[in-house]
Amino acid sequence: MAKQYKVVHCTVNGKEIEQVVDVRESLTDMLRNDLHLTSVKKGCEVGECGACTVIINGEGFNSCIYLAVWAEGKEIWTLEGLTGPGGELSDIQQAFVDEGAIQCGFCTPGFIMTSWEIVNSGKEYTDDELRKALSGHLCRCTGYENIFRAVKKTMLRHLGKFEEAELVNSQGITEYPDPMPFK
Amino acid sequence: MATKLLMAKSPEEAAVSKTASAAFVAGGTEVNRLGSDIAEKAETLISLKKCSGLDGIEADAGYVTIGAMCTFQDLVESDKVPGWLKEAALFMASRTKRNMATIGGNIAARRSDSYLIPALSAAGAVLELLGSDTKAERIGIVEYFDGAYDDKLITSVTVEKDIRLVSKRYANTAQSHAVLTMSAAMDEMGVYMNGAVKNVGLLHFCDLEKAFNDDPEISEDKIIEMVRTCTGLETADDMFGSDAYKRYLIAVTAFDLFKQLKGKEV
Repeated sequence: MAKQYKVVHCTVNGKEIEQVVDVRESLTDMLRNDLHLTSVKKGCEVGECGACTVIINGEGFNSCIYLAVWAEGKEIWTLEGLTGPGGELSDIQQAFVDEGAIQCGFCTPGFIMTSWEIVNSGKEYTDDELRKALSGHLCRCTGYENIFRAVKKTMLRHLGKFEEAELVNSQGITEYPDPMPFK
Repeated sequence: MATKLLMAKSPEEAAVSKTASAAFVAGGTEVNRLGSDIAEKAETLISLKKCSGLDGIEADAGYVTIGAMCTFQDLVESDKVPGWLKEAALFMASRTKRNMATIGGNIAARRSDSYLIPALSAAGAVLELLGSDTKAERIGIVEYFDGAYDDKLITSVTVEKDIRLVSKRYANTAQSHAVLTMSAAMDEMGVYMNGAVKNVGLLHFCDLEKAFNDDPEISEDKIIEMVRTCTGLETADDMFGSDAYKRYLIAVTAFDLFKQLKGKEV
């Protein structure tokens, strides 16, 4: 049976693209195979592990179960789009490095994309909300605490709470000195 | 395997295009996943992503009508959606997946570990369907599962807002398939209990409802014994647990939910 193809027009990492895709092709396949954006990882391919997460029109999606043709007219961001022109890391990427939130690195791009959405939301998440917001991602190496700490510290810095970010301890808990200065 | 994709612009176009060899694709979490037998069996996929008029949440006179293409995250974020339905939507732990999965898709997929069907069934949700003749009809959600409506498009789901309903879901991890999802609702007529048991199916626990309605003070031991010896329940040993485990889980969950509905501590 003949396959059906369509042309997709969208913006990927700030660049307008036009791409012919098989109508059954996933967005992961289009980004990896056609656009060579290999930060988008193929993990479970059932939408459970979060390794393929990309930002579409400001929200995180599992690109492995998102049809490429649905991307028509959409604005898509992958990890490659976060680095500066000279390859400089964004603050959330640097926080992952600083906090040791990386081991094998397979889950990292997906985690960073969701974290990017969180830290740019302008909202101060509670620890519980932050853990829930990150729960669409599976990491078999780090045990999550370092990732949680990296995201929490970056979120606080984005909110201008630089001193508070430094009070986040190794368990990700903000340790206020007594008396609490940040209320 | 599906090789054609129709991007329907309207619910009518989608409904008219539905044939036995076609399948609807809503959010994509079920049809597009690796190993999906829906995509394997269908020749044509009918995408509902660009369909107008299938989103939106309207509240009116104690009822909430939810467009079939509303995502789980839409449910969680809406002020109009009752808490019991938000709780069921949050059983899907992944936010990225909640951004995709839709209420209509979750019902139509009829999964035996469905997130929403037990709660919607216990709440007596009403579905609006559109057939290939473009005639709309409204049916109770339980009726939808008798097989006569497979080719019809779900356009909206209506639920009562102020209903007492509680749910529980058991899975190894927040991301795992659940062995049991169960909901119980209560009104002046009595208690309603529905569940989804992995690899068994969507169940309406009529005997449990009768037992609780006949004797609200029934003991947990009696409920456990009743479910253990129930001949109508076709649970089996599999990787999700033994037959005995599943029956025990159904019994103690039913008892806990009933206690919760009565306002007692579990």
